[in-house]
Amino acid sequence: MENLPLAEPGVQLSVWALFWQAGWVVKLVMIGLLFASIWTWAIIVDKVLGFARMRRSLDRFEQVFWSGQSLDELYRTLSDRKPTGMGSIFVAAMREWKKSFEKGARSPIGLQNRIDKAMDLALTREMERLEGRLGFLATIGSAGPFIGLFGTVIGIMTSFQAIAGSKSTNLAVVAPGIAEALLATAIGLLAAIPAVIAYNKLSSDAGKLAVRMEGFADEFSAILSRQIDEKIPQQRAA
Amino acid sequence: MKAGLTTSVVLHAAVLGFGLLSLSAPAPLQVADVEALPVDIVPIEEMTQIQQGDKKAPMAETPAPMPTKRPDIVADAQKVGENDIDTDNPPTPADKPRPVKTAEATAPAPKPVEKPKTEDTPKPPEEPKPVPATEVAPVPAPRQEVKPEPVKEPEPKPEPVRQPEPKPAEKPQETAAAEPVKPDAVAEAIAEEQEKPAEQVAQLPDSAPRPEARPRPAPAETAKAPERKTSEKPVREASSRPQSEDTGSIENQVEALLNKEKSKGGGAKRSNQQAALGGERTTGGSKLSQSEMDALRGQVQRCWNIPAGAMDGGNLRVSVKFKLDPSGALEGSPEIISGGGSSGVERAAAEAARRAVARCSPYTLPAEKYEAWADVIVNFDPSEMF
Repeated sequence: MENLPLAEPGVQLSVWALFWQAGWVVKLVMIGLLFASIWTWAIIVDKVLGFARMRRSLDRFEQVFWSGQSLDELYRTLSDRKPTGMGSIFVAAMREWKKSFEKGARSPIGLQNRIDKAMDLALTREMERLEGRLGFLATIGSAGPFIGLFGTVIGIMTSFQAIAGSKSTNLAVVAPGIAEALLATAIGLLAAIPAVIAYNKLSSDAGKLAVRMEGFADEFSAILSRQIDEKIPQQRAA
Repeated sequence: MKAGLTTSVVLHAAVLGFGLLSLSAPAPLQVADVEALPVDIVPIEEMTQIQQGDKKAPMAETPAPMPTKRPDIVADAQKVGENDIDTDNPPTPADKPRPVKTAEATAPAPKPVEKPKTEDTPKPPEEPKPVPATEVAPVPAPRQEVKPEPVKEPEPKPEPVRQPEPKPAEKPQETAAAEPVKPDAVAEAIAEEQEKPAEQVAQLPDSAPRPEARPRPAPAETAKAPERKTSEKPVREASSRPQSEDTGSIENQVEALLNKEKSKGGGAKRSNQQAALGGERTTGGSKLSQSEMDALRGQVQRCWNIPAGAMDGGNLRVSVKFKLDPSGALEGSPEIISGGGSSGVERAAAEAARRAVARCSPYTLPAEKYEAWADVIVNFDPSEMF
């Protein structure tokens, strides 16, 4: 701390120069925030694309499901490839149905419970996939400004120590140090603001998708329950 | 995820590259050169510490009072002036020679008698005797415009004196009435005029003239009154001035004595320098420092027996004013300038304060600042003692 870096008046004040003149703590904060910003935007892009894809697949599945196609046929086509969204719920339920029914179900209530469980699991897995990494956006949104502020405080502290060392209170001496310190807060805000906005938007979108899938799961559960009521007496009779 | 990450990295690289290029050093703030405003910090001492000089004279290197003419006769005089005695009063301008000199001239009586003759000659040369005229004449020279009036007015009086019979019926009455009275009455009339009752008597006839009273010569007063009435204004003007000369009037005598006292003021210190801007006297501006004040307070406090009932009394504050001589001893008796009200406790507190000042009498204070502690006011506040 004996040789405090003092920004000489008249030095370059471009963003790059400010970054380069900053102390290592401030530099570290700035670089960290930059990476956080990159990661935030990566998540945002990924989620936006993923949600759009999910919405499209839900639309397509609903179209196919309610088209009057036989459920067995649909199950056969879907189980071949890796299903997503409602498809995975449907496949999970059908698989359970098939397993229980082929081996000869004893009680219709037990079968219904198992199918619901399987659908719940599939739904939870889907939601996890949808909402994964949204937490990082929330963290950056709330902590980003603080991290930037930490860099600023450290930068201003260093700047004031430098002023004390140079025994000059000229604004030209004070200004560059404070400007470079404030750059850290600026970067923090730059990372945090999109993160907060995107988190709010994406979590509400995920909520909507989850509601849609839950609705389908309930509907499919009702259909399966009707099927069970119809088929088990026949099985017993046969 | 890969797609997102690449997109993000590309986006950031683009933004940073754009920022580095466009967000270069901001243009330096253009600040117009403003001429600095000179600001002087003037210590209060410049106002309080002034040198002896003349208030109206132009400023010079060293302030000096107006040069005096008379030789120095008073040693160690403080105030500059032409006076014989050193006084603190400001010099008063010399009075203009108004009635002052006429009053002084009262002693030589014969003189005014002669003067009127020369002035009167143009108008009434016949009468050498007219008493009112002689009295009017000696009015000081500067008032010449006024003089003719009274002189003219008295004239009619003497004229009728000579020809009482030929005049019309109305006038003879007045003149006749005036005539017998005149010799000694004029002076009396003038004297009496000052008395208000006499004036009232004179005014009354205005509304109701009394013809019967005129013929009677016996009551001199009634006769005099009408005379005033006929020429009320002129006579009064004429008489008002003679009054100052009238040796008989006590007021005039007193006035004459008073007038001899020339206005005094200014000091007796002599100056022979060119007048320059300054104050009436040199004020050192010396004041006691906080520690010196505390020292004085401590000395007084040592001798102060706080009155017994003062524990709860916030209003037992007493201010005592006293004078000190250069040795620090009490001069005169301390004076209570505030506090010490009617109630017994308050009076006791005031007396306690006075006793405290008197008991500690020789105070040790910096001698060179005597000016600052010659008059001291000490506030005694018992509530601050607990």
